[in-house]
Amino acid sequence: MSFWHQVFEISRKDLLVEARTAEVLTMTAPFGAVALILIPLAVGTDAPLLSQLGPGLYWTIVLLFGVLIILRKSAVDGPAQRDFVRLLGIDPAARFVGAVVATATLMLVFEILLAPVVLALYNPDVRGWGWLLLILPLVAIGLGLLGTIAGGVTTSLGTRTSLTPLLIVPLSLPLLMGATQALEGLRLGRGIGNWLVLLFAVDLALAVSGVLAARPLEEAIS
Amino acid sequence: MTLVRRYWLESVALVLITLSVFRSMTVAADVTQGDVQRLMYVHVPSAWLAFLAFGVTVVGSVAWLRTRDLKWDRVAASSAEIGTVFTGLAIVAGMIWARPVWGQFWTWEPRLVTTSLLFFIYLGYLALRRAVLDPIQRARRAAIMGIVAFVQVPIVYESVNWWRSLHQTQSRNSIDTPLRITLLFAVIAFTFVYAVLMRRRLELARIEAEIEDRQSVDEPELAGAGITAPTLEEVGPGA
Repeated sequence: MSFWHQVFEISRKDLLVEARTAEVLTMTAPFGAVALILIPLAVGTDAPLLSQLGPGLYWTIVLLFGVLIILRKSAVDGPAQRDFVRLLGIDPAARFVGAVVATATLMLVFEILLAPVVLALYNPDVRGWGWLLLILPLVAIGLGLLGTIAGGVTTSLGTRTSLTPLLIVPLSLPLLMGATQALEGLRLGRGIGNWLVLLFAVDLALAVSGVLAARPLEEAIS
Repeated sequence: MTLVRRYWLESVALVLITLSVFRSMTVAADVTQGDVQRLMYVHVPSAWLAFLAFGVTVVGSVAWLRTRDLKWDRVAASSAEIGTVFTGLAIVAGMIWARPVWGQFWTWEPRLVTTSLLFFIYLGYLALRRAVLDPIQRARRAAIMGIVAFVQVPIVYESVNWWRSLHQTQSRNSIDTPLRITLLFAVIAFTFVYAVLMRRRLELARIEAEIEDRQSVDEPELAGAGITAPTLEEVGPGA
């Protein structure tokens, strides 16, 4: 089986599990939407203020609640599942890339589901929204990569549910900054090239680190 | 003489730090900020030392992955600990400096925010190390995290250029020569302090590893470990 076929099968397996439970669709996304409804009650329902805060809050919710998607993945993959995949002779790098593809896809779905909620509740300035077609996948891939690496190093630890968010959230700063500043740049009519380069560079750095670390990671969780 | 030879690094560090403190207290103060600017001689070297320490953590992590020698894991861990402490010191010194200059301890300023997140990233790294008991497993997981965590360092460094805000850009080109020389001297002195702390922490880490090894060998048997499952012969038809 070729490398990319292995990647396809691994991501298909993860997405099939999600399709059966529909956790992102029926639990995580509504939870994120509830948070977006609650925030204005805490900071005030001033329409111009909310319009300004909307994009930033959207990305914050994507990041914080996205951690739930990452944790879900590492909870589903128990020792028996990992051993089975290992015995099948799947390349560790293919396992890593497959897991990233699945997590990034779920993250992208989560982003797409939350976007109309922000539009409806916060009425943000949507100038240059076409760029979201590039920004949303770049952030989803970055979070998928970061989540797969952090989920990997915390697999089977008793403190996994507390430790994984602590590892992911501070490290996702460049993704959060890239996404928010790009939207801010679009709103103000500035160039956003540098922010897209930042997002791309972070994704690339994480992808290279993740693929190189895939084998040691595999050994670490064996 | 033997003592000096044995503690030569400590001696050099002590002399350099003493001279650095003397120099930073006697050099002309900044015209605008006055004496409070002297905090720069603690704040900037602390930040530099944190970057250096995290760089050494990456080197240790990569070396561990290549050689599987636990010595490198100890280098990475020791350096990360020191780096975290000095990141905290840089933040605190920066906040004390900010109070009279910016009028408040904390502003939502990119350098402050990114540095604080750097602090939490390495707290996470240290928490990960504490969560794994087996030394080999710990080294593997921590090595990966030690490499990935370093992504934040260039972001902290460049944050003052990317987001022009209250924090000044890198000091090397924006201050007068006497102040720059004093700062450079403080950076060198702090680097020697780092070397001393690393040496001590590595010794401690080696002793900790030895204790861990002995404990795993001398580990008492679990209660009930002497009871074995009955074999077929014992429970056979003749029994």
